[in-house]
Amino acid sequence: MVILTKKFKTENLNLKEANMRFKPKIILVLILSLLLFTSVSEAALEIDRGPIYGALRKLLPFENLEFAGYLKNETSLRMAHGLDEFMKEANIAQLELEYSFNENVQFFTILKWFYDAVFELENRYDRDPQWESKTNKKLKYPEKMQWLRECYLDILTDKLDLRLGKQQVVWGTADGVRILDIVNPLDYREWTLKNYIDTRIPLWMINAEAQLMPNGQLQLLFIPDYEANYYPPAGAPFTLRTVRLGTEAMQALTQARVTTATIDEKPAHTFENTKIGLRWRSIIEGHGFEYTLNYLNTYDFASAAYTMMQGVGWVPTAFELTRRAEKIEVYGGTFSKTITEGILIPGLAKGWTLRGELAYIKGGAMNYGTDKNIAGTANVSMCNYVLGFDKSFFTNWLFSFQFIQMIAQPQSEYDKRLYTLLNGATRGPLDKIETTLTLLVSTDFMHERLKPQVLVLYGDDNDWRISPKVSYEISDQWLATAGLHIFEGKEQQLNGQFDKNDQIFLELKYTF
Amino acid sequence: MRGKIVFLIMAMLLFTGLAYADLEYHKVYKPQAGMTADQIMEIKYFNKYSLFANDYESVGDVVFMEKDGSTRNRRFLRQRIILGRASDDVSYKDLVMFTEPTSVKGLATLTWNYMNPKRDQDVWLWLPSLRKIRKVSASQANDSFMGGDFTAEEITSRRFTDETYKLIGEENFKGYTSLFDGKVYHKDEPCYVIECVPVRSPWYYSKRITYVSKNFGGNIFDEIYDPNGKLFRTIFRGWIIVDVGGNKYPAQNWVEGHDLRTEHKTIIIFDEIKFNQGLSEDIFTQKTLMRQRW
Repeated sequence: MVILTKKFKTENLNLKEANMRFKPKIILVLILSLLLFTSVSEAALEIDRGPIYGALRKLLPFENLEFAGYLKNETSLRMAHGLDEFMKEANIAQLELEYSFNENVQFFTILKWFYDAVFELENRYDRDPQWESKTNKKLKYPEKMQWLRECYLDILTDKLDLRLGKQQVVWGTADGVRILDIVNPLDYREWTLKNYIDTRIPLWMINAEAQLMPNGQLQLLFIPDYEANYYPPAGAPFTLRTVRLGTEAMQALTQARVTTATIDEKPAHTFENTKIGLRWRSIIEGHGFEYTLNYLNTYDFASAAYTMMQGVGWVPTAFELTRRAEKIEVYGGTFSKTITEGILIPGLAKGWTLRGELAYIKGGAMNYGTDKNIAGTANVSMCNYVLGFDKSFFTNWLFSFQFIQMIAQPQSEYDKRLYTLLNGATRGPLDKIETTLTLLVSTDFMHERLKPQVLVLYGDDNDWRISPKVSYEISDQWLATAGLHIFEGKEQQLNGQFDKNDQIFLELKYTF
Repeated sequence: MRGKIVFLIMAMLLFTGLAYADLEYHKVYKPQAGMTADQIMEIKYFNKYSLFANDYESVGDVVFMEKDGSTRNRRFLRQRIILGRASDDVSYKDLVMFTEPTSVKGLATLTWNYMNPKRDQDVWLWLPSLRKIRKVSASQANDSFMGGDFTAEEITSRRFTDETYKLIGEENFKGYTSLFDGKVYHKDEPCYVIECVPVRSPWYYSKRITYVSKNFGGNIFDEIYDPNGKLFRTIFRGWIIVDVGGNKYPAQNWVEGHDLRTEHKTIIIFDEIKFNQGLSEDIFTQKTLMRQRW
């Protein structure tokens, strides 16, 4: 019976694949046609916001209501299969609304909908209706209202700003890597290829920012809300190796007639579980040196996995996986400094911006074991930091370099001769110190209309991602972007796990 | 992202400059007969940055105009507080927030400018795409200003000491016909004609001829010559006089750059110009940058 089902699925898949064969190319042609036939001229000083804005303005004729938004298509194709296989075919609509009650009180919300048709277009991805992996319409958890990206009330005064509601808070100075930027969980649907602004999962919270001194501000966060990081399920284009291995293991146990159970232990929405954040930001006068001191008492958004096997003699009968969000404390800080006259001697490093960020995370837990195999769970503290160096050369070529280290410090005993800590994303062996280098080079042409850039990430153990892209501002409202994501490395490494996911992507965005 | 950073630095620099030690803050100066080229240029720089006022506010449009006439726009709100405060060396603070189109909506910059001409500005950017404040260094002087037809120093960072000056004549300005709206501006404005030679050599220009109004001390027109002595770019600046409690404040309301080689133009238009609104210094902090939502 199982064999027959598999055969049917295979035939069905081949038929579908044949039907799909030319569709990616059709989409490419359509996008290019849109670009070619899009109007590029608009009347100066009359910033025409287009028919959508006009229609919304008629529909919502409130004087104190301001809105904006965009429609966007994001298409990506796997390079390994002659560009005939979609990895993403997402259409996105976002609407942002701001209502001013008066100068000091304003309401703001962002509504966002998307649908990724890749699961319909390609049979290689799991056809199971995992709605959360292709749309923000979380059928299983409708109360999460993921279409409501942000929703808050601002109460603004000279000395104190209050932001009450669903929001994202960003700490830190690093680009493209999260050291202190851990107030909000993250959506790993597309790994870390998208801007964090689109992948942070907003939380309900109270955010108070007080101006205590002309050069000093204190931020207090009270966060009763909790959401875990989102990891795409097995079968999605960017399923993490650890998720895939876990799913395969559970399926193997089920086939072996072992009873399996998965328990998610998340903090309840109670007052005692309210997360607290503090940030002091200040500038040292006369030196242009800016720093922050940060403290966060929260629950880890990446759950630690605890496993338990029961059996009769040597025969396993039941397996239980518990995913627990550990309570953690984060101590950290940042600095940034622009070199205006030189270091040590006049002119040395002039024009550079130096920045850094450090986070010591206490109370976390990680799995240990061997590649693919979890032997147990250890308490681990992490010390992560980044040093960044930015400078423009040849007038408008920006070079931004970052040196990042993540140091894992086990706080509980395990047999280190047999096991290592395991990478939470790949379940591969984790070095005690993981080093990553990043380089971003960007510039512009045609009066800042054409903007190419390339981002290179290198992890020790020869793990790479190279992401060149170019964006072109067709008009005030239309923006086109094309680029590549190239992954290289071993499957145990962060980028290497997606070695077969090299892709070309195209984006077309209409703003109003 | 780099483009946005440069764009913001440029936008911020639009509203920044350097104070001139010999002139007292919050007073209005006009060129007088018999002044030297240096004295006239000091007043010109003082007026350019509105150091005669307590605060300043305007809405502006930056228009990029291609050879074929098609345009792209940027709209911003600008606020400035002029302090001239010796205790912490702060000359003035600027806040620029972009409001349209949606692609740049929410971008904002905060700049603190110092009285010591050797001290660089402190510049912070709010990048909506990152939701974070970034401390940056000011752009290089010969970098393009916001991708337009000016360099950064032409709009913002050029200092009095960056050039040497020679008064080469006095004449009525023949008027400037805008390539944007076709209107003629400042026709028959009596001007000093001053030759400005950069101290730095080699540099992207060998000299410029500038026309400074005798009536209000603002420069109206620049002819800019390349290192081979060939005219390659012009910059026109339109001025209006704003009556503030009986004080006559000169204010730039139009800047038009024209690259003669590419025929590309960039026009900056200032509207709703207001002085002395009683802006609080508390506005000019990072907290305000973080209020940006878009």
